[in-house]
Amino acid sequence: MANQNGTMYGLTILSPIIDDDKAVPSHDLQIRAYLASLPTDRQSPFAQAPGTHLARLVVMDDVIYVGMPSCEEHLKSKYLVFESNIDATGESGLDRYLTGLAQHSGTHIDAIWSHCVGYPGASEIPAFLRYMKACQLTTTFYFAAVNNKNLQQTQRALQTQRAVADFIASHQGLAAAQTQAAFNQFLQQLDAMPLPPAGEPHVVRAIKTGGKNE
Amino acid sequence: MSKLNATDIQGFVLRGYNFPLARHLFLRITGPESGRALVDALLPLITTGQRWDQGAKPLSTVNIGFTHKGLAALDLPLATLISFPVEFQQGMRSRAEILGDRGRNAPENWDALWRDNEVHVWLGVNAQTAPAMESACSRLQELVEQSGGAVLLGSQDAGMLIIDGQPTTREHFGFTDGFGNPDYLGVERTSQPGQGKLMPDGSWAPLATGELLLGYADEAGELPVAPIPHLLASNGTFMIFRKLHQNVATYRAYLEEWGARYSGGKQKLASKLIGRWQDGTPVELSPERPDPSLVKDQTRNTNFTFSEDAAGARCPIGAHVRRVNPRDAFGFKGRLINRRRITRRGLPYGPYVPEDQPVSDAAEHGVAMMVLNASISRQFEFVQQQWIEYGNDAHLGNDKDPLMGNHGGEGRFLVQGDTTASNPPFVCSNLPSFVELRGGDYFFLPSITALGMIALELVDPR
Repeated sequence: MANQNGTMYGLTILSPIIDDDKAVPSHDLQIRAYLASLPTDRQSPFAQAPGTHLARLVVMDDVIYVGMPSCEEHLKSKYLVFESNIDATGESGLDRYLTGLAQHSGTHIDAIWSHCVGYPGASEIPAFLRYMKACQLTTTFYFAAVNNKNLQQTQRALQTQRAVADFIASHQGLAAAQTQAAFNQFLQQLDAMPLPPAGEPHVVRAIKTGGKNE
Repeated sequence: MSKLNATDIQGFVLRGYNFPLARHLFLRITGPESGRALVDALLPLITTGQRWDQGAKPLSTVNIGFTHKGLAALDLPLATLISFPVEFQQGMRSRAEILGDRGRNAPENWDALWRDNEVHVWLGVNAQTAPAMESACSRLQELVEQSGGAVLLGSQDAGMLIIDGQPTTREHFGFTDGFGNPDYLGVERTSQPGQGKLMPDGSWAPLATGELLLGYADEAGELPVAPIPHLLASNGTFMIFRKLHQNVATYRAYLEEWGARYSGGKQKLASKLIGRWQDGTPVELSPERPDPSLVKDQTRNTNFTFSEDAAGARCPIGAHVRRVNPRDAFGFKGRLINRRRITRRGLPYGPYVPEDQPVSDAAEHGVAMMVLNASISRQFEFVQQQWIEYGNDAHLGNDKDPLMGNHGGEGRFLVQGDTTASNPPFVCSNLPSFVELRGGDYFFLPSITALGMIALELVDPR
C-alpha cells in the first residue's frame, strides 16, 4: 500500500521554495545554511520528535542537463525535499506524527519551512497539518533496513543485541551452572536498562565518513 | 582485445617477479633540471613487462614511481599536475582520517622517513642474489650522485622469509601469502580459476584492463580518472606503498591465550581469523584441516566462493580473505566487487623468528606492502575504509578486519561456527592491533613512454 508498510509510514514532502530575486541571500541558500548547521545527534529536531526512524532533507535546485542525447528540462521551482520513515498508521497516525514534530521541534521546522511558499507556521496545528499533507508525495520506497518494528522496539532490539554479544564475549567457556546464574542476573539488568535517547550513536566511528565512498 | 604492449609497461605492474630480495629506495628531487637528467639516466635500466625468454631472466630489476610532490619537483606543467585524481595529489598522510590511520598508525607516529613527508621518488629493486642486489643499488646510487638531481632519503629492505634455510612465501605470522591476485584482460600471465571476476555461469574471467592500467576501459566501460595528456597516463598505474609492521609477540601471545579457550585449538583459530590455514589451504574448501594437495592444485587453491556459506560456518564472515575479496558473498553473483579489486605486491622485512624462539613487538618485522590499482579512491581506499576498518557491508556492524584492523585492544571477531561439536561458535574479544602502519605514500608508476616524456620535458597538457 502506498506510504504504508505495516506500522512503518514513508513520509515524503516536496515544498516549493520561495522564488524572490530581492531576497539576499536567496531563500534556497538560507535553507542550505540552516541545514548545514542542524545537529544530527540527539539534538536533531527529528530525534526529538517521537517516532522518527530516519529523516533526510535535501534542497533540490533544478534538473541538471548532462548533454546529448538527453533533452534539457527544468523544474518550475526550487524544492525542499523531506524524506522519512516514521511510526504512523493511516491518516490519524500521520496527523499524530506531524503534530509531535510541530510541538517538539517547531522552532527548527519554522526556520526551515518559512522559506517555502505558503507555509503557515507550526503554531497553528490544523493549518500546519493541511500544508504538510498538501505537499506530500505518495511513495512506495523505504529505507532499506526497515522492518515492521516501531522505533522503541528497534532501539530495544539493537540494545539487546549489543548486550547479548557483550555477555557472550565475557562469559564464554564458563561452566553451565555459572553461565546460567550469570545469564539470569543479566536478564534482570537488561530489563531494567533504560533506552538511550533517539539519535544517540552507540559507537562513534573513529573514521572520517560521508565522503564519496559512502 | 589484443594483448597489451608489454614493453611500454613497467614489469612490476604486470607481474610479481618472485625474486627473493627487494630493496626500496626513496629519493627527494633536488632540482627540476638535474632531476629530469636523473630520470633520463635511469630510463634504460627500468624493467619492462616484456617476457623473459628461457635463460634470459635478469639477476635484478628496477622500477620507478613518483609522488605528486615528486612530479611537481620535476616541474611538470601545472595543468597536468592538477589533473591527477585528488587523493593522489593529497598523498597518503592527508588521507589518514578516511583510511582509519589513527592512534598508533597516525602519520605523526610513522618512521622518520615518512614523517618528514619529503619522498618524491620510489625506486624498487628486486634481485635474485645479494651480490646482484648490491651491484644494482650501487649502480643506481652512482647515477643519483652523478646527476646531482636527487638525494637518497632512506631505503627499505625486504625479502622472502628464510625458514629452515629455505626462502619461502610465508610472512611473519607464519602464513603462506600471495594467493589470488586478479587477472586483467590483455595481461599475459599464468592464471587460475578464482583470480578474475565471477561470471554468471560460475566461471572466472579476467577483469577489465582499466581496473589496473590507465587509458583502458574499466569494469564500468569508462576510462579511469587520469592525468592529461592521455599519453602521460596511458599504460601507467597508481601504487600505494604501506610499511606494515607486524606485532609478532602480541600475535603469538593472543593466539596462545585465545587458542587455549577455543576447542578447535590455536591453529584452527588462526585459520578462522585469516580464512586460510598456515600452509595456504582455503578454509572455505577445507574447514577442518590443512590439505597440502589442495594448496598445490592451481585449479582449486583460489577457486572458491562464499554464497553457499552465507552463515560463515566454514570461513567466518569477518575472516581477512573474505573481507578483502568477498567474491560472491554480497550476492548478485559477485558483481558488486568487480570495481573494488586490487593487485598486491610486496615482501616481508626483518628476519623470521621461529615459533619456539622469544620474539618482541619492537623488532623490525613486517611487510613492505604495495597495492596497484587504477583508482586509489575507488579501489584501495574503499577496501581499506569499508572492508578493513568497518563491517557494515558484511553485516558485522563496527567490527574490523581481525588481522589488519586498527583495533587498539578493543576489537572483536566472531567465529560463526555451527552446531557441530568440532566447529563451535566463538568470540574473540579485546583484539589488539596485530598490524600497524609505519608510513608510506601514493605513487604514480608511469609507462616507459611517459618516463621519457618526463625526462625530456615533453609533457604537454594542451
